[in-house]
Amino acid sequence: MTQACQRNLIFVIGKGGVGKTVLSQALALALSQTQNKSGKSKKILWVCFEDPSRPMSKLIPRPEGKGQLWHLNLDPMDAFEEYASLKIEALGGTFLSRLKIGTTRLTKTFLDNKLIRYMAKAAPGIHELVLLGKVWYEREHYDHVVIDMPSTGYGVAMFQSTINFSKLFGGGPLARDADQMLATFRDPEKSGFWIVALPEEMPLREAIELDELLRELFPDNPAEFVVNRVFPESTHPNPEAPDQWETPFATDIKDYAAKRSTLEAHNLKLWDQAKIKYTEIGYIPPSQSRDEAELVRSLADEIREKGIVS
Amino acid sequence: MSPARTTPSGSSISAIIAKRRIIVTCGTGGVGKTTLSAAIAVKAALAGKRAVVITIDPAKRLATSLGVKHLGDEATDLTEQLRIVCKKVDPTLGKFTGALSAIIPDTRRTFESFVKSIASTPAGAERVMKNPIFQIFAKEFSGTNEYMALERLYALAMETENGRPRYDCIVLDTPPSRSSQGFLEAPGLLARFFEEKLIRWLAFPANALVAAGMKKALGILERLTGAGFMTSLVDFATGLLQVQSTFTANLKRVMELLESKEVGFILVTTPSPGTAPDLRHFVEKLSQHKMRLDGISINRTLSYLTQKPLPKNPSAGEKLVQELIERERQLIRELRASAADAPICSQLPEFARDVHTLEDLVHVSQALEP
Repeated sequence: MTQACQRNLIFVIGKGGVGKTVLSQALALALSQTQNKSGKSKKILWVCFEDPSRPMSKLIPRPEGKGQLWHLNLDPMDAFEEYASLKIEALGGTFLSRLKIGTTRLTKTFLDNKLIRYMAKAAPGIHELVLLGKVWYEREHYDHVVIDMPSTGYGVAMFQSTINFSKLFGGGPLARDADQMLATFRDPEKSGFWIVALPEEMPLREAIELDELLRELFPDNPAEFVVNRVFPESTHPNPEAPDQWETPFATDIKDYAAKRSTLEAHNLKLWDQAKIKYTEIGYIPPSQSRDEAELVRSLADEIREKGIVS
Repeated sequence: MSPARTTPSGSSISAIIAKRRIIVTCGTGGVGKTTLSAAIAVKAALAGKRAVVITIDPAKRLATSLGVKHLGDEATDLTEQLRIVCKKVDPTLGKFTGALSAIIPDTRRTFESFVKSIASTPAGAERVMKNPIFQIFAKEFSGTNEYMALERLYALAMETENGRPRYDCIVLDTPPSRSSQGFLEAPGLLARFFEEKLIRWLAFPANALVAAGMKKALGILERLTGAGFMTSLVDFATGLLQVQSTFTANLKRVMELLESKEVGFILVTTPSPGTAPDLRHFVEKLSQHKMRLDGISINRTLSYLTQKPLPKNPSAGEKLVQELIERERQLIRELRASAADAPICSQLPEFARDVHTLEDLVHVSQALEP
């Protein structure tokens, strides 16, 4: 079985603030620098679900070399319209002739309808379903699709919605699509889940909970783990366990650097106890990440060096 | 070197506690919002207020921060524990006259009791809760947690004891959201769901007034989703219609409270390159809602560390900390320049370890202001 980060669909998921966006961009960039089985350069798509009404703040840097790197910020309403058009076209035949109306006009009637617009905007789970549906649809056009998922709860909810709709729409065309999507996500040959955390107590704990939630949804496709922004190891770790330190503060830079490295080693025991295997990505210092593009490139180098992609 | 004394006293955390009865903290995940909220409540209790902190964090971080095993849907009184640890930290602190309690609402239970409270009959509530669409709605709709937090806040603000408000400082730690303004958008999102005219269409699809276009649209929907779904949908809409007017009235009440002078917002953030644009967006959203931004708390700052001259060959970690401090100073300068109308109310140090006892929180509350 290939590693999670070498599969067709790669979902990058974790608590808010752990660096998912830049890390997923770096992964996409690193993948664009690899070659596919027939020795050709690859075509990669990086997807995020940022609020489309805001100016796109997270542009992905251009790859060097021949690989292609595309990015897509999905607007749920666009995804909804695209999906609805496809489905109405597919209804075709007898249904349309009975209504005595062309596909284009019928689609317009449907999409312009106030009630449909209301449901598309407000019904819980619809956005999640059509966004994941779009990702699923695009997978065939790229060697890899890297998805910058929303933070833990929202991220899991996206998969959960697909499952909910598969049940709720029992038997209809939408349920069939949801089932096919789920089959792809469940398949370790096709999809991978990359859980990102920081070496801090809460993100590490949340990652374990996230893993459990994902296992419930996709039991045969276990996630892989990465811990981001690991502090350089101290040559003089603090001899006492962190909960023995008198206050939660450090005094000076030297004290802080030693305590931070001690604390991270202590925190990571959580994952060791849970028998989690993980890759460590070092803290990229500000001098090597003067802007976001430089940070992404530095991380992509590290991702290749660590053998996460090859 | 101690952090720069540039915070004007008018916008300090103490000033906000003195000025507002309700303080709402907003921010993305991982910025230390829960710790800050708990520390504000501790500070208020030490200043003589009857303080309560309420958090919707599903990770139960508040209990961890407060060093208690369990916090529930009812207020847990922590005043005596606070007194014991205060005496340990500094005997003069132990003489405070305020009180401290904490709540982690069970949002699922709250949502059900909310439906019961606004439904016209118990059978009506039962019907709504049994509906498969409602069950997904209660679990998955990203606005419900936020809305329930507000309902709970409203109820707490109205609670009285011996004829006066039970709490004179309520700190609401909002659920972690994708963006800082996520919390503010949730009620509107939920309100959109209750648009009466549209629910009516759904509840009475056979109505003679329904236009031909509507019939076509619903026909397609039924084709795509199956007949079972349409039945549930109509049933759900009928249920919604019953609670619609009460819900709308409740929402109006809650929004009026948030827009009143009793409530101040604090944006919690960290010194990172994305902070300034996020802040501008948040300020804009707040002013659209006529809500009051009292200050920005910059958390997890390193510049409190004293700058002893580093050895000639600093370790990789020490060099990194130094670089981070330099970047942080730059970012904070930019933040001050770009946010003239949003004063920095506190600058909280990055902790060397996690905060997990009430004693730690007393230390933090003392460090809230330089």
